[in-house]
Amino acid sequence: MSGNDLEGLTILAIALPLFVGFSLYLWPKGDRYLALGVGLLSGGYALLLLYTNPSQTIQLLDNFGVTLLVDALSGFFILTNALVTLAVLLYCWSSQRSAFFYAQLVILHGCVNAAFVCADLISLYVALEVVSVATFLLITYARSDRTLWIGLRYLFISNTAMLFYLIGAALTYQASGSFAFTSLTTAPPEAIALLFLGLLTKGGIFLSGLWLPLTHSESEAPVSALLSGAVIKVGIFPLVRCALLVSEVDPLVRLFGVGTALLGVGYAVCEKDTKRMLAFHTMSQLGFVLAAPEVGGFYALTHGLVKSALFLIAGILPSRNLKELQQQPIHPPIWSALVIASFSISGFPLLSGFGAKVLTMKNLLPWQVIGMNVAALGTSISFAKFIFLPPGNATTQTVKAGFWGAIGLLLGGLVVANGVYYQAYTWANTIKPLATIALGWLLYFLVFRQLTLKLPRRAETFEHLIGIMSLTLIALFWLGAA
Amino acid sequence: MVKTFVSITILAGFLGILFKKNVFMKVIAMDVMSTGVIAYYVLVASRTGWFTPIVSTTPKGAYADPVPQAVILTAIVIGFSIQALMLVGVMKLARANPTLEIQAIEQSHQP
Repeated sequence: MSGNDLEGLTILAIALPLFVGFSLYLWPKGDRYLALGVGLLSGGYALLLLYTNPSQTIQLLDNFGVTLLVDALSGFFILTNALVTLAVLLYCWSSQRSAFFYAQLVILHGCVNAAFVCADLISLYVALEVVSVATFLLITYARSDRTLWIGLRYLFISNTAMLFYLIGAALTYQASGSFAFTSLTTAPPEAIALLFLGLLTKGGIFLSGLWLPLTHSESEAPVSALLSGAVIKVGIFPLVRCALLVSEVDPLVRLFGVGTALLGVGYAVCEKDTKRMLAFHTMSQLGFVLAAPEVGGFYALTHGLVKSALFLIAGILPSRNLKELQQQPIHPPIWSALVIASFSISGFPLLSGFGAKVLTMKNLLPWQVIGMNVAALGTSISFAKFIFLPPGNATTQTVKAGFWGAIGLLLGGLVVANGVYYQAYTWANTIKPLATIALGWLLYFLVFRQLTLKLPRRAETFEHLIGIMSLTLIALFWLGAA
Repeated sequence: MVKTFVSITILAGFLGILFKKNVFMKVIAMDVMSTGVIAYYVLVASRTGWFTPIVSTTPKGAYADPVPQAVILTAIVIGFSIQALMLVGVMKLARANPTLEIQAIEQSHQP
């Protein structure tokens, strides 16, 4: 395949969703079919990238224009986006949503794709801002007062973070005369601090990402699945990309990876609400992606598949409270889907969560190992809560066919993605995750099952979130200057 | 000198977002902050000169840098559309919470 073909396909993968999204306002009848076509197209494009493994920089509109960088890393992230969008689409297929919903879904899909290929600060800024707007409209689709507040809070925080990001971009340009990611090598520490504040907040990382649990847990099930599976990674991808391109920022990215992995999992083990636990756990998994940037793409793919499946399943469970769920038996097919997904995320062999975890653990630096192992242990403790829920014949459980289509796609993806890193299956590699899971379950039964620790939620109020931003900025500046 | 004023504008906006009690005022404060950021880009652009960078046969003197200007034009459009969207959201929110006090809103939506 020649470079020009790739260039054309890349532009198509970004522009077609936007074009289709706006055409849906004119032709609302074709909403689901057009959205399906767009999802399939970017899925095919991503597979092509993974298969041919190019590494091509595309420069549009001459100097100072838009810079795109297409490689296998983008391929993994775009594939995640395509599969999650398709699953959400199948889930919503017979749910009587208006064309407006699908239009936003498709526009969001295009912008997320754009964020996964761009290689300069300003194209990224534009992609991120449009992602915020489309996400806001999807969160508030239900039009209730609560979703309105949740959406407004999300938009406010992400826009404030992006203002800091813009200042950082200006400082970078002043120092190096270019907006490309690679110009970060010559950027002053304050520029890197400001840019990172924007991306960390947007990506839900560490303390500045504490807006995430409420937003992801209080949205509707399909929107939560989309946000946690694909959209949140728009903040993660640039961090991974910068860590790979610019060796100076690599330690900073790894450090925040470990920090957020531990923070998220710490909240997740104590949480008694299914969706909030999943949301906190998303924070922790994003830490795994950042902790080993070289292999972050594969981890992001498995996390996107499994987390959106879990959010969709959590949406049809009879209750959100884990205490109540222990009393109410779950319909066996739903229970088995829940258990398969939980096994994958705990790193059990035969599912791709295992390969991703082994690969990440192999690429850690020595100082990260202890922290990440503790985080992996926390993961198996928190998912023991799901695995040991009782199956049984629930009386009134009607599930739409679309639900099974979505779950089949996501869990099937998990099994197929196993092949990406089949070298992981050695005895030494297999024993460690099994030991981690066993220890996690033991701790769950001995300690965490009885534990009723309610962590305070004050840090999640709006003003504290903004305050944390300024503190993170100071911390980043110190870390950058050191 | 100009840089100091720009910094003060950005900081004032940020402190407004942090300390104002009313959601509407917070949105306005965010606008102030974004005005500061835009002004900063204009400042960066004027490092090389003051003249509007338009191609002509006779050079007029030191031209301003067109790149930051072009960039911030995009950011202004995005900024004001988000601002508009947020104000609509706040108006809708005001029907249930007429005072728009942030603490009251957060308490009523705490799960």
